[in-house]
Amino acid sequence: MPGRLRKPSPLKTPDRPYLALGLEGSANKLGAGVIKHSEDGTTTVLSNVRHTYITPPGEGFQPRDTALHHREWALKVINDSLAQAHISLHDIDCICFTKGPGMGAPLQSVALVARTLSLLYSKPLIGVNHCVGHIEMGREITGASNPVVLYVSGGNTQVIAYSRQCYRIFGETLDIAVGNCLDRFARVINLSNDPSPGYNIEQGAKEGKRLVHLPYATKGMDVSLSGILSSMEAYTFDKRFRSDGRPRDADDSDIITPADLCFSLQETVFAMLVEITERAMAHIGSKQVLIVGGVGCNERLQEMMGIMAKERNGQVFATDERFCIDNGIMIAQAGLLAYRMGQVTPLAKSTCTQRYRTDQVDVTWRA
Amino acid sequence: MSGWHSVTIKVPFASSKHALIAKQVIDVDRELQPQAVKRELSVDGNNLIASFDTLTVRLARLTVNAFLENVDLVVRTIEGFGEDAEKPPVRSQS
Repeated sequence: MPGRLRKPSPLKTPDRPYLALGLEGSANKLGAGVIKHSEDGTTTVLSNVRHTYITPPGEGFQPRDTALHHREWALKVINDSLAQAHISLHDIDCICFTKGPGMGAPLQSVALVARTLSLLYSKPLIGVNHCVGHIEMGREITGASNPVVLYVSGGNTQVIAYSRQCYRIFGETLDIAVGNCLDRFARVINLSNDPSPGYNIEQGAKEGKRLVHLPYATKGMDVSLSGILSSMEAYTFDKRFRSDGRPRDADDSDIITPADLCFSLQETVFAMLVEITERAMAHIGSKQVLIVGGVGCNERLQEMMGIMAKERNGQVFATDERFCIDNGIMIAQAGLLAYRMGQVTPLAKSTCTQRYRTDQVDVTWRA
Repeated sequence: MSGWHSVTIKVPFASSKHALIAKQVIDVDRELQPQAVKRELSVDGNNLIASFDTLTVRLARLTVNAFLENVDLVVRTIEGFGEDAEKPPVRSQS
């Protein structure tokens, strides 16, 4: 770790309980959650409600349809999260919403609701960076103090480490995100999007026996994934490919099944991610890895990361789908940390932005 | 402004306070094509008044459509929470 000096945390222990409502809607999940920071320094999740926009097999989610989904469900999801937390909006200290990155129309829909609530109840707004939300929630749930963060989701693939009030991006994807690669492959072989394409690939991979060759493309600290997707598509046109997964007759043994493709895709892509994470760990001398983001709940990825960490005498921290997959509570957590440091987003600045990099955030709440 | 298409919409609210909230909420996001769409929001009594000037008929339709969808979302949010927000705050849980 850079410097052995232990600086005290700039975050003061709260003098009273703080409550925050978090609203998330940057992709196809709409989430609302209430978090509480108590005087003794503990954090409690009071509620964490999510509703996912699920498209038919073979289709992705389009910005406009996703925004319509969020608009339709926003009030129900917020009401449910308040009811589960047994609080009224009068009780909370601030309303946190995702400022970016993500899809413009869904982000804006949620921001409109956040602004309206903020004005109705005269509560301050906090615009939160989605990636920082993931990191802060992962740190809180797992207790990892200063980990190398692998952030893998449908829109982002980044290896991140903290230094001097900034989450610095060590490596990232050069083209498409790993979740995007998995989702689009699921569309190619017509896997269901319920509960998520990644989950169904993970289940399919368990049946896979054959490792097909795919381009292994780590480039320094970065990875490239679009070529893998193209190769996967090419395999579905291979004469050995059996879309039903069964041999045609007793002699038909040299075959490639959809399960084999799921298996090969996971093994190759996750190996690349583990490699760049290990390089980042070696570089900063950290022994902790934190996996966050929707792909982070993949148990095979956690297992592979665990093997690498064990060899380095390190530890892997990961969360389950409640906190890995996009949710409102992580926005509340990151927002409340910022609020306790005195950051608020004035109404005029409460716009959304599709591009908002992790390293653009001033992380005032960490030493 | 010759050649520009103009549309004016009047949306009634239950109170001028709510009309003002809707104006403030929607005013934050700028139009995506400021060179082709001019938007002016104001509040007159209980009404939110929006006037649009656009270069093409298509843009007029798209802009007004998006605006009305936004108004609908804000109105439903006010409907759902407006009454509760007016009530005096009671600490249900410390």
